[in-house]
Amino acid sequence: MNLRRILALLYREAVQGPKNFIFIFTIVVPLGLSLALGLIFGTFFSGKPRLGIVDAGNSRVTQLAEAMPSLIVRRYASEAELRDATAKGVVDVGLVLAADFDQRVLSAQSGSLTVYVWGESLLRDRVLIGTAIADWLRELAGHEPPVTIETTMLGANNELTWQQRLLPLLVLMTVVFGALMLPASSLVSEKQHRTLSALLVTPATRAEIYLAKGVIGIALSTVTALLVLALNGAWSNQIWLVLLVLFLGAVLSAEFGILLGVLINDINSLFATVKAMGLLLYAPALIALFPIIPQWIAQIFPTFYMVDPVIAIVQRGATLSDIAGHLAVLGVMIVALAGALRVVRERSVGA
Amino acid sequence: MPEPAIVAEELTYRYGDLLAVDHISFTVERGEILGFLGPNGAGKSTTVKMLTGQLRPASGRALLLGIDVARYPKRVQARIGVCFEQPNLYEELSGVDNLRLFANLFNARDVDINALLRRVGLDGRGGDLVGRYSKGMKQRLMIARALVNRPDILFLDEPTEGLDPTSAEAIRRVILEEQQRGATIFLTTHDMYEADRLCNRVAFINSGKIVALDTPHNLKQQYGKRMVRAEVVGPDGALLTREIVLDRPETPAEIADLLAHQQVVTLHSEEATLEDIFIRLTGRGLA
Repeated sequence: MNLRRILALLYREAVQGPKNFIFIFTIVVPLGLSLALGLIFGTFFSGKPRLGIVDAGNSRVTQLAEAMPSLIVRRYASEAELRDATAKGVVDVGLVLAADFDQRVLSAQSGSLTVYVWGESLLRDRVLIGTAIADWLRELAGHEPPVTIETTMLGANNELTWQQRLLPLLVLMTVVFGALMLPASSLVSEKQHRTLSALLVTPATRAEIYLAKGVIGIALSTVTALLVLALNGAWSNQIWLVLLVLFLGAVLSAEFGILLGVLINDINSLFATVKAMGLLLYAPALIALFPIIPQWIAQIFPTFYMVDPVIAIVQRGATLSDIAGHLAVLGVMIVALAGALRVVRERSVGA
Repeated sequence: MPEPAIVAEELTYRYGDLLAVDHISFTVERGEILGFLGPNGAGKSTTVKMLTGQLRPASGRALLLGIDVARYPKRVQARIGVCFEQPNLYEELSGVDNLRLFANLFNARDVDINALLRRVGLDGRGGDLVGRYSKGMKQRLMIARALVNRPDILFLDEPTEGLDPTSAEAIRRVILEEQQRGATIFLTTHDMYEADRLCNRVAFINSGKIVALDTPHNLKQQYGKRMVRAEVVGPDGALLTREIVLDRPETPAEIADLLAHQQVVTLHSEEATLEDIFIRLTGRGLA
């Protein structure tokens, strides 16, 4: 492997890439769909997170909340009204402060705080309000407060929104299509235009050529996938973990794309093959769209292990230990495909 | 004495049941231009692919500059230049970018790309996208690409096929300049005139076997027929053609008879062409 040669090949891919319709498709379609979904479900114009408060004792917490410019705060006269407003989505989070709440906190007695969460509120808004509440309590108590927070989900709390359900499909489209199709189509095009033969009579090795094609697909699809998550309000505070999963998913897809590119000789056959495999590739996302289907079926499909950890992190707040098993499966598939690529590459030299 | 630039020993290749190249052996000396001639499907391209490391021989071996091609293809490829028959350039890149890419792959940092473009008559057009080039310009750019690493051996596959006379002449001039620089040239061509004019030796390949390998002069001497072709006025006034083969005991008498008793309109001596020799050797033409 020679870095200079890989960079030269990468530069060519980067210069020529934007003229390739697959390159444009990889960026435009997922981002366009995300924008469309954002418009349809109104998350673009959702504005500030909305907090409802029932305050029986003129709490300092309410004053701090109302002083915060990045929140919309609404007061309610009773807990019943607040529950109703939260269930209907008038506010994202509802907070019930008892009359003696401040006194109990200040006297270091353990207190409890009732919080209602609208089931369809954006994770971003929940995280923002949750962090703010923790800060206010700390400011009120002057130390880590002995408060237990009792959370109740209201509204469609057991169901994901359509935008959330569509997210796996968008992530898969971005990662699988981009990282798979970019190297595959580039390799097939090089064969069709006979430029691969010209490259192969230089000191550049097949491995270097494949790597350059893979890197461009991995980089583009990973960055686009991050943008897709951001546009869908699924930005996580564990962004490095999300990035790791997306990267590994893109590596697996790129390996598969290169394998297809090596085995297939024309662009029409490549599209036909990918079309035929579409159900296999996108099955986990399609299953996630319909909760009525037993969700364990998705685990049969390899792409499940790249999309499920991402969704687990951004929608359910999963940590590295929660998704370690999935990542291990992903790692095994990456190693297995690398082995298959090595065998195919050796055979192509003698062909 | 330096080792030969190319040594082919019993090179063999099969496509399934078809024996494409059948145990061929030859050498090419350093600085020599070898013409490799044969009809379509004779095994020319397969031989070139084995010599350039694109195909691994079924048996036999090829040594380029003393290096075993099958074992160390990349070492060999670093020192050769290959110009393909069909254009295979990056059409969405400019001529300069095409050359720069290959210069980087060869780590040829000191190559003067503008000078290369000038040599092949493309100065001033290097910034244009290759997709807008004519066939002749693409062919000339491919020659320039094959030269970016100042190769010790240059493989040229039909470099002037289908080109206008000016482009073809420009390419022939570059070939001779490369020979003067010391490069060895392996020239695959159908063009007998080109082979006769440029090559120190020519090899005829047919059905995967080399059927003759020598200098054009020696081949003509060995296999050709010299003759005199005359146009004479026939009894009814029509023009007739008469051919008298030279180098036979009865030739002087036949010529004397022709001049004494016939009304000769034109008289030409004719030398066998390489194509005549190829047809004689193989029973088939080169096309």
